[in-house]
Amino acid sequence: MKLRTLGARSAAAGFFGATVMVAACSQLPEDAIVVGLSADITTFEPGMISSRDNANIARHIFAGLFSLTSEGDHVPNLAHTLDISEDGTAYVYTLREGLTCHDGEALTAEDVAYTFNRIADPENRFTGNSPGFVFTSIGFQDAVALDDLRVQINLARKNPIAFGLITEIYIHCKDAYEAMTLDEATSNPIGSGSYRLASWTRGSEVVLEKTREPGNFQRIVWRIIPEASTRTAELISGNADIITNVVPEQIEAINRSGRAEVQVVSGTRRMYLGFSLSEGSRQMPGGEAIQDPRVRRALQYAVDVPTICRQLLSVECERATGLVNPPNDHPNLTPYPFDPSTAEVLLDEAGWSRGTDGIRFAIRLQAGRARYVNDVNIVLAISQYLQDVGLDVEVDLMEWASVYTPLLHARSMGPLFFLGTGGGLWSPIYDMTDLAEVGSSTNYTQWDDDRWFSRWTDLADAKTPEETRSIIDEMLQVFYDDGPWLHLYFQPDFYGVSNRIDWKARRDERVFLFEARLK
Amino acid sequence: MVIGVTLVSFLALQAGGDPTYLFVSERASLEEIEATRQALGFDRPLHEQYLSFVGDLAQGDFGQSLSYRQPAMEIVLEALPATIELTLFSMAIALLLAIPLGILAAIHRGTAWDGSITTLAMFGQSVPSFWLGIMMILFFGLYLRWLPISGQVPFLVPLMEGDFGTALGNLPRTIFHLILPGIAVGTYSLARNTRLVRSSLLEVLEQDYVRTARSKGLPEIRVLVHHALRNAWLPVVTIIGLEFGFLLGGVVVVETVFSYPGIGRLLFAAINQRDIPLVQAGVILLAGIFILLNLLVDLIYVRLDPRMKLAEGRG
Repeated sequence: MKLRTLGARSAAAGFFGATVMVAACSQLPEDAIVVGLSADITTFEPGMISSRDNANIARHIFAGLFSLTSEGDHVPNLAHTLDISEDGTAYVYTLREGLTCHDGEALTAEDVAYTFNRIADPENRFTGNSPGFVFTSIGFQDAVALDDLRVQINLARKNPIAFGLITEIYIHCKDAYEAMTLDEATSNPIGSGSYRLASWTRGSEVVLEKTREPGNFQRIVWRIIPEASTRTAELISGNADIITNVVPEQIEAINRSGRAEVQVVSGTRRMYLGFSLSEGSRQMPGGEAIQDPRVRRALQYAVDVPTICRQLLSVECERATGLVNPPNDHPNLTPYPFDPSTAEVLLDEAGWSRGTDGIRFAIRLQAGRARYVNDVNIVLAISQYLQDVGLDVEVDLMEWASVYTPLLHARSMGPLFFLGTGGGLWSPIYDMTDLAEVGSSTNYTQWDDDRWFSRWTDLADAKTPEETRSIIDEMLQVFYDDGPWLHLYFQPDFYGVSNRIDWKARRDERVFLFEARLK
Repeated sequence: MVIGVTLVSFLALQAGGDPTYLFVSERASLEEIEATRQALGFDRPLHEQYLSFVGDLAQGDFGQSLSYRQPAMEIVLEALPATIELTLFSMAIALLLAIPLGILAAIHRGTAWDGSITTLAMFGQSVPSFWLGIMMILFFGLYLRWLPISGQVPFLVPLMEGDFGTALGNLPRTIFHLILPGIAVGTYSLARNTRLVRSSLLEVLEQDYVRTARSKGLPEIRVLVHHALRNAWLPVVTIIGLEFGFLLGGVVVVETVFSYPGIGRLLFAAINQRDIPLVQAGVILLAGIFILLNLLVDLIYVRLDPRMKLAEGRG
């Protein structure tokens, strides 16, 4: 055979092989769904899970006693009934019969009690969402198995949102976890959910395999793809079915690809400009001015939120009138319109007229970088709107985790600061608990209006849902009129979804695939 | 080496502020924050944290990763094979292509070949690796769909585990997944080495012994390979050790762009997370590899250059 012919045939064979390989690479199997995540998974230890991505995967491995639907409804899962004691400190769950963990061990009330007590055990030094936020918020005391099917969760005090927070707990079996060290539990989850962990290549992918209903796919592959453009490329090329955290600049590319589209949902994260009302802020430039509710109300008219959303987020945002997510928000309040003339008049009336230099007062606006979608540009846009009504705004942008966050916790940021806090759909009170007490860790503004804080006692004593709702609306009116937030928007979330599957994104950042299916 | 590397990385990470807040939820209470700070050991004075780490290190204990809650060195070693595959592939591109391109440019000096190769080399040294990576993803991965966009298929891991069948079966896909990131990482080195081979060869071709070899009527290819190149590529050998270190630095960004699960990406995430034990374990490992490689290169250089042996003998 001549060398040239051999060479040509070899090249052709190589090209054919490469094409087949590429084609094989690009085809997703019908029994699997592939999700591209932006952050790595660090653990499958139920007591250590804290990030949203980690929680989304873990929820497929570990079931909860009850679940929250995408509309915020509280529905049975491992348990089918919940009874709450008169004084609100004892929650008794009755499990369904015939439950098992992935290793075949029967899942009984003893295992549920073990789950709660193990997570809360200070010896284990867990720092995840469950022992940290959930147990602290509900005032968890202990859990006791009353019999094979009934478990009692004891709280220190009555809490109207405990039922929703308890859904966050990942139920696992006692025998399996007693046989493991804490290190082993990190990478060997033995859960109670629809899927079990088939493989985990750190930094690369997590593969789950179906063990029981619900779930329409035999396998779920979670791929870790930190770079946004790479995630988008994988979606468009057909190598991923769903990607999270699509950046606004790539929405058009995805929608034009013909292979996928972007689902935009109004998330539950409340984005706001906080007015720091602490004594320390009062000493800062502009700090005295914002102590006056009239000034805060004036500034509500100064920022063109719809334009910010359209230009910087590429969507029409859900506007905020307070800190409660719709549809649980006040039914009659409307977002403050963009009306700089009104802002100017109100500022004049509040005694802060423009000086000869056109400035009413100077003020500092602080924010963290790269935490929220397009946050830096949004902060700069807000500062410009405030400058247009006569404020001399100094913008101070800083690294989020170890520079800005400590300031927040120390209440030494501001006087203006940009922040977003997660909320929910299942209870307005959950959203309102950011300001449950003046001294709450999440009352970053240190607002102390008695018209708000004194009503919490009334809320706790309310006898009927109608009474509760009435109190909530009154509180929200106060928050709308004289509150410590300049109401912005609920952060939109962007999911890229391939045309191959039928899946609807949730507003609460939970990526659950139990009902996803092939089209 | 250990003290220097760990001290620098420790101080650099601490300069970023209190890392506790990275490990608590946004709604964490002050009590919860303090409990986490104590659980992670961040409540101790800085010198105590550092000395405690060094003390454990002396006993072979690199500590636990704060993010993964597993031994830090274990996690780093898990990611090492992927980075070795990428770095070796990039080095292969950088060396195997640089030599023929450099020769071509040198022997066709002043021609269009020389001009083109030199221009491409300058471009290769100018373009940022992350930009090149993204452009290749768009063109070869998305537009042409010739190559995979992200991910990795392991070859070294099954090989080291003795599973030769899986390793060989994976090899074609391993190479496929290495092509784009390998080019992104290796382009700068390829460009630099091409220019180095070219200039070194041009210098050698002017030497008397090369003129003598030509005068003896030897074929040009023999003059080039047997006489000129043996001396021309000594500078390239010299920088191979440094090259490896440079490539290791380059993989950090490229591994992130291509979602390649190597040490670079692991360290990048660990730095953002202020996972101090993980960063220090990774940095110590990479520094150790770098030093060992340079030692190896020095030994190879002695074998390649008899003048070094003579100098040793006189010494």
